[in-house]
Amino acid sequence: MKRLQNIITETNVWSLLAFAVVAATVIPAVNIVFGVITNETENWLHIKQYLLKDYIVNTAILFAFSGFFASFIGVSLAYLVTVFDFPFRRFFKWALILPLSIPAYIGAYTYSGMLSYTGVITNFLAWASGKMIFIDIMSMPGAIFVFTFFLFPYVYIISRAFLAKYTASLIESARMLGKDYTQIFFSVILPVSRGVIAAGSALVLMEVANDYGVVSYFGINTFSVAIFKVWFGMGDISSAARLCVYSMGFIILIMLAEKVVRGQKRFAIATSKVRVLTPQPLPNTKALAACFYCFAVFCLGFLIPLFQLVAWAYMTYEEVLDPSFLEATVNTVVAAVVCAVIIVCCAILITNSARISRSRFAKIASRLTAVGYSAPGAVISIGVLILFMWLNDFTESFWSFSIITSAYMLFFAYIVRFLAVGCSSLESGFEKIGKTYFEASRTLGFGVTRTFFKVDFKMIIPSLIGACSLVFVDMVKELPLTLILRPFNYNTLATKIYEYAHDERIQHSAPAALIIIAICSISVYYLSRVERE
Amino acid sequence: MKKPITLLLSLLLLASMIAAGCVSTKQSPATQTTQTESKEVNIYTARHYPGVDDAIYKAFTDKTGIKVNIIKAGGEELIQRIKTEGNSSKADIYITSDAGNLYIAKQAGLLQPITSPILEKNIPANFIDKDKMWVGLTMRARVLVYAKDRVSKDELSTYEDLTNAKWKGKVLTRSSNNIYSQSMLASFIEINGEAKAKEWAKGIVNNLAMQPEGGDRDQAKAVAAGKGDVAIMNSYYLGQMLNSKDPQEVKAAEKLGVFFPNQNTTGTHVNVSGAGIVKTSKNVANAVKLLEFLSEAEAQKTFAEASTEYPVNPAVEPSDLLKSWGTFKKQNISLSKLGENNKRAVQIFDEVGWK
Repeated sequence: MKRLQNIITETNVWSLLAFAVVAATVIPAVNIVFGVITNETENWLHIKQYLLKDYIVNTAILFAFSGFFASFIGVSLAYLVTVFDFPFRRFFKWALILPLSIPAYIGAYTYSGMLSYTGVITNFLAWASGKMIFIDIMSMPGAIFVFTFFLFPYVYIISRAFLAKYTASLIESARMLGKDYTQIFFSVILPVSRGVIAAGSALVLMEVANDYGVVSYFGINTFSVAIFKVWFGMGDISSAARLCVYSMGFIILIMLAEKVVRGQKRFAIATSKVRVLTPQPLPNTKALAACFYCFAVFCLGFLIPLFQLVAWAYMTYEEVLDPSFLEATVNTVVAAVVCAVIIVCCAILITNSARISRSRFAKIASRLTAVGYSAPGAVISIGVLILFMWLNDFTESFWSFSIITSAYMLFFAYIVRFLAVGCSSLESGFEKIGKTYFEASRTLGFGVTRTFFKVDFKMIIPSLIGACSLVFVDMVKELPLTLILRPFNYNTLATKIYEYAHDERIQHSAPAALIIIAICSISVYYLSRVERE
Repeated sequence: MKKPITLLLSLLLLASMIAAGCVSTKQSPATQTTQTESKEVNIYTARHYPGVDDAIYKAFTDKTGIKVNIIKAGGEELIQRIKTEGNSSKADIYITSDAGNLYIAKQAGLLQPITSPILEKNIPANFIDKDKMWVGLTMRARVLVYAKDRVSKDELSTYEDLTNAKWKGKVLTRSSNNIYSQSMLASFIEINGEAKAKEWAKGIVNNLAMQPEGGDRDQAKAVAAGKGDVAIMNSYYLGQMLNSKDPQEVKAAEKLGVFFPNQNTTGTHVNVSGAGIVKTSKNVANAVKLLEFLSEAEAQKTFAEASTEYPVNPAVEPSDLLKSWGTFKKQNISLSKLGENNKRAVQIFDEVGWK
């Protein structure tokens, strides 16, 4: 009874709206999971007998190693560029986000092209050493490499923002107590930033979980490959749903792990003045080493694939570039901007109401958004389609408007898919400012809504911009949803790439890939400028 | 007090209105087709030869005044989309690059019989579904590609021969997740029976030079690189490598030879890209017109050459490159069987451990 009372008193416009948004985004997934409540089919028995073990082992290996390496590289780079000063530091500070602008599947195709028999790296090695040396990228280590170097910026961005603003006093105190910087990294930085590291690596792992392009090209049987095979190949929705549930099980494990890592303690900086860290100059050799480390990561994650793509684009641009490219570019940018704005608004609703509400329910709701982010795109798209079929009956009979051939459906799917990215960035923003100001404002008589706009909003603006640009970059790269749900004659840059890559003409997809990289780079650069101001 | 939240809400509303406005001009033509017979036809296609296919559709529009609206995606996903859309689907024509998918679409009840004397005249009977639910548009052969410097033509004979101990560690092919692999095994199930087909798959797995990875082109490159001696792959990928702008690819492709297997026995495995008319189509007449147009000599030539495939219309000659590889004997089975046996093929692959 008391609990019910609690729920009623806790209910306000924020939580109601948040609930509505979460419910709408979870419905597509629920549609799918309902498929499980059937008997085991013949296909399922087949999968269990021959394949399931392989799927579990491969997925687990991929998660463990990609997650670990991406986190390590992300955090260590963030620590280097915020705490120390060395040549090109300011450049690397924003340039190290750039690998995010290359879609993982493009990265995979580019590297396998360079390392193939006809590839530039193989030829260079043959020239340098006199014999053919092959590096087999199309393997499990190769996949881990690709995910690590194209996804580590998720961890890097989130932990850098955190380190830059909130650890100056900690580091200074530790220095005064005689710790050196390596000790500080392991005994101070890692413990206090474990929350943001966990948030960042959760994003990395969810990207890995829903990836289909890289793993299917490399011939690695993970859950997303399996779901595709069972659903679209065997036409067996219920077995596919079972696999989805397994795959979700992995994600839930990760989220539980994240919770355990973060612990019960909430870490918030309670001083009103945020101290800005002054970077410490490094001695020569160490500066060189730091510079080299940053440069090596930057090369592997961005520069090398970029050069290859430029070379390919030079080879093919005459055949490929036509007016439809401009249209695809406009479509890509418009969709990304509009959806990024909508997603960030929704994310504010959800994260703020989860923060101010004491009920467990609101917190679970914000976690649920991860469903859309971690399930394979093809699965989400069919879930969305099922939902819109139901809406279509209304719109067609009342306004004779077919919603399933409109862009509404596609945009809705984008929101389902990327809401978690927005929520995750904002959550860490809110976590930083804590609840002190909020409580003070409430005590002084402001309402929840007014408090948000007068007090909290200004403090989370950097996180807002961060969330917006992360979502924007993700949207520009998005492929599976666009492919299945797009209206007639609607192309984006990603679908242009798909058309060539699917036909194994990767060289021809290079111009579109370069435009994507350019757009994302602009967004990343702008983000870093805003941060500096 | 409540003002800011209204502001937030109206911002949301505004954003969604902008979203709608941006695309509404584009989606209106498709929605209007629900009315009376219009001057439009809507295609869901899994064939992606940007530029070429589009140019053919444009030629069709210029000739007939019928506008062609296109959604491109994977063959399997498009089936799923048409299925889910049910009666509301706007799709008129479904085009895909494998007979297996055409069969799946037919079995799911998504297609309707096509009646057209022109199509029957232009396309040989074995490239048309027995219930006329779909027609083939281009044909591709799954051939053996070998390293000219290490293998002589005389050593090659049949797909079955590749399971022989002398090819141990020398055979390359694609993953079993790929529909081309599946359709090939499905054809063997039809011709040689299930037990023999399974034995064959097992034999290939034993002789593999490495675990299947990458696409068809990657198999060719692996042969050129000496990782293995013979690859089973679709002929047109080699054609594309020979036509590539990348000199390294051309050089690699020139080291390779094409061999049509099973010439003295059951024939080389062939597959089609083809099209069916969707059951719920509201523009059937236009759809038939477009398919007829695609089967005519002019379109067949560009359609097939775009991807170095074989045209299905016997009046049209294949490209010079294909002619230089010679003519060959094809498997003599109904292509519908590729679909019928697909599921069993997938299971066999898993049972013998073909990744």
